[in-house]
Amino acid sequence: MTFISTFAPSGGRRLLRSGFVMPAILVAIVAILVVAPLVRILLSTLTPAGIGAWQAVLFSPLSFNLWWRPLFNTMVLGFGVASGCLILGGFLAWLVVLTDVPGRRLLGLMGTLPYMIPSFAAALAWGTLFRNSRLGGSAGFFETNGLAIPDWLAWGLVPTAIVLIAHYYSLAYAIIAAALSSVGADLVEAGQMAGAKRPRIFFGIILPVVTPALIAAASLTFAGAVANFAAPALLGLPVRMQTLSTRLFGMIETGQNERGFVLALLLIAVSALFLWISDRIVSGRKAFITVTGKGGRTKRFPLGAWRWPLFAVAVLVGLLTTVTPVLVLAASSLAPQSGALFSNWTLHFWIGEGGGEIAQGQAGIFRNPVLIDAIWNTIRLGLVVALTTMLLGLALAYTIVQRRGSLLATILSQLAFVPLLVPSIAFAAAYIALFGAPIGPLPSLYGTFALLVIAASAHNLPFAVQSGRSVLGQISADIEESARLTGAGLLRRLFAIIFPLAIRGLFAGAILVFVKMVRDLSLVVLLFTATSPVLSMVAYRYAAEGFMQFANAITLVILIVCLAASFLAHGLQNRVQKWKES
Amino acid sequence: MLKRLMKSALAACVVLPTAAMAADLDSMTPEQLLPLAQKEGSVTVFSLSSRIAKIEKAFEEAYPGVDLIGLDMSSTKQIARLEAEQQAGVHAVDVLYIADTPVVFSKLLEAKRIVNYVPPRVAAQIDDRYKGPLLTQRLSTKVLMYNEKAFPGGSPVTNLWQLTQPEWQGKVLMVDPSQRGELLDLLTEIALHPDEMAAAYKAQFGKDIAVDADLQGAGEQFIKDLFANDLILVPNSDVLNKSVGDATAKNPPVGFGTYSDRRDNEKEGWALQVANNVEPANGILFPAVLTIAEKAPHPAAARLLIDFMFGDDTPTGGAGFEPFNVPGDYATRTTIAHHPDSVKLGELKAWTIDPAKTAAARGRVSDLIITLQ
Repeated sequence: MTFISTFAPSGGRRLLRSGFVMPAILVAIVAILVVAPLVRILLSTLTPAGIGAWQAVLFSPLSFNLWWRPLFNTMVLGFGVASGCLILGGFLAWLVVLTDVPGRRLLGLMGTLPYMIPSFAAALAWGTLFRNSRLGGSAGFFETNGLAIPDWLAWGLVPTAIVLIAHYYSLAYAIIAAALSSVGADLVEAGQMAGAKRPRIFFGIILPVVTPALIAAASLTFAGAVANFAAPALLGLPVRMQTLSTRLFGMIETGQNERGFVLALLLIAVSALFLWISDRIVSGRKAFITVTGKGGRTKRFPLGAWRWPLFAVAVLVGLLTTVTPVLVLAASSLAPQSGALFSNWTLHFWIGEGGGEIAQGQAGIFRNPVLIDAIWNTIRLGLVVALTTMLLGLALAYTIVQRRGSLLATILSQLAFVPLLVPSIAFAAAYIALFGAPIGPLPSLYGTFALLVIAASAHNLPFAVQSGRSVLGQISADIEESARLTGAGLLRRLFAIIFPLAIRGLFAGAILVFVKMVRDLSLVVLLFTATSPVLSMVAYRYAAEGFMQFANAITLVILIVCLAASFLAHGLQNRVQKWKES
Repeated sequence: MLKRLMKSALAACVVLPTAAMAADLDSMTPEQLLPLAQKEGSVTVFSLSSRIAKIEKAFEEAYPGVDLIGLDMSSTKQIARLEAEQQAGVHAVDVLYIADTPVVFSKLLEAKRIVNYVPPRVAAQIDDRYKGPLLTQRLSTKVLMYNEKAFPGGSPVTNLWQLTQPEWQGKVLMVDPSQRGELLDLLTEIALHPDEMAAAYKAQFGKDIAVDADLQGAGEQFIKDLFANDLILVPNSDVLNKSVGDATAKNPPVGFGTYSDRRDNEKEGWALQVANNVEPANGILFPAVLTIAEKAPHPAAARLLIDFMFGDDTPTGGAGFEPFNVPGDYATRTTIAHHPDSVKLGELKAWTIDPAKTAAARGRVSDLIITLQ
């Protein structure tokens, strides 16, 4: 880097080339998109009511139940889920990318699915199997068949953690698989020639190389688990288990916003601490460069006798985490009674004509005139947000990786992680208040599609930055430097070199953003003003009127949209990285 | 000079009427409002119910030329959005159709973000207590529900204090009141009736109640005892209805739920029924209100819409009210007949919440239940 800048000819260009401008712009963007809303939330907790909230949360008889116990539960969930996801997602990624296991495509597909299924479906699936008599009503599969389920297995931390692992491991899978696919055959072959045994190659070469991806996956799954509301609410409340996310939701829902914001800020602080520690671990070690531009064929290990047993394990995991929830969703879009999911199935909720006795005369979803509109709106929103988020995320990740270990990189990477933990309702409200009024010569953004896209990009930034970083960190600097020497500008380098090499990781991130956007309701409903809705709003409408079958049918439509997007991304990345096929 | 005079005269023409207009608009009939509303062209409403889509159709048929834009979102989100918009100086929404009235009262009405409006056409047909501080359109319930298949002889509970006894341990369900405003309002209302709760205690146990030193009154003591008796909290009313109502259940729990959910009994295979004969009350009636946003961009159309949503003079309320006329919910307009299958409003043993009083007492109750968990 310094070598280059001394060569740079004139002043202006020198400034540009020394890489000062891009970080400055990025800092400004992050300041506006992330810091400003955060500061606004912080300020609202510094009013007299806000100070009272800090006191109530931290130093009052309420603190134990309002903060400390939920914090404990949340941290147990966060760490438990992150480790579980790394093990499960890592195992699957290794199997699919680096071994000759049969049915790799199928396994890969199953690995990406769970994240596209909303976590409440997994929680419902758990209930269908493990629900015990604590709540009354119809018991789950096991109790009906005479197997008593103790409370700890039916409710509370254990089932919540299992359900969240089943939901989020695919996030870890996507990121780790992207990183593993860049471990070139040459590295592994070099190890083999030097006589290293398989465990040695795994622990000595592969694991160190993908450490950044492991950290990225761990932080995202940690944040996901910590912020998830549906699973702890469905499985935890009956035994009075509160997490910070259920507490936070409750505080805002009952009009005690300040307390909710205080909890959110504290949660951000605690998570930032852990992220900082993990960042130190990564930057403390040497970065291993694996994408060198010298042939990136992937080497597959023969599994020998283990091929089929491992395949069976992977398929079992896939079946349990994807097929069961999808089945429960599908059944609940077909069964007229939500208490009896597997009887009297009807297609009415999908294609029924309406006007009859079923569902107060509501017609099936495919007869709902807004559905097609909503699908189109959803896809458009998802694509635009995925694109803008990835562009911004790529630029951020690039700067963070280039300046690994510097203060700037640390601050940027911390800030880029925060939005995931800010409750969407507070995030959206901050955006309306900040950008609703015209700022100087800029017009008010209120009610525009642009405001929605900006807010959504900021909110989903963590996915883009984390997935971008884990891949960019592996790209060798010499390719870029040779390009630089031949006079290629930053943009040219980005599009001709970085983008094609990192495409798998970028698409992995883009899919995560797309999925999150398509499903996330809170942000959209506060910023949307048009009457033609997106799918998540249609689902909410049905659910709010008690028509769960229709809502679940819409959820399946969302799943199909996500799947289609993921196939599309997969096809694109194979076309770009033709050299990968071996 | 002349030009400037002209200008200020013109300005006066524009400003003066708008100042005087709001007061005028409040007393106008729908016929007088219509031409003004048509000039405004549209009206935007945030609605707690997606049935606003049906109102949209009916409203636009009744008043051509006024486009209704309905956005359905929960009360919490409506409040967050209105606050944020007004802080940014954006005035885009006209009408709020919203529940969660204690929060609406303290965050919106006291902060002057909304104004109350009572349509003169129906003013005489609404009880005074429903006209202010916020205009109530209908009342919903959070009341004790039981399973009528499992208890064919009527409600197994006749006094709230029975729920604190061993026979109901772990058999009373409630959506977590620290998660949902209506349930917090229910417990707050119980805390606000210490005398009735003390009398009911004496009726049940034959002795005077001893209230713990750190609690205020018999209502708070009841809340504490209820939690101590393993009250089971659930995340939403769907879970509650399934647990309490399951028609095949042998020994089902009871729970504080929504009376109008009974209409889904047949569809869902439930046997939900309201426990009405309960001392001192079986729960609460809480309002859904219609209110106008401060500086609403379409003030005439906003008033026309609120007028419309109180229905016509027929017993069903016609197209303007019918979508909301479900058994177990109650119209405040006296000309609208209550559903024949449900307990009459006057006979339902539920307390009606007062948004202002609830707002003042709710924080203390919220803190109490946090310590009880």
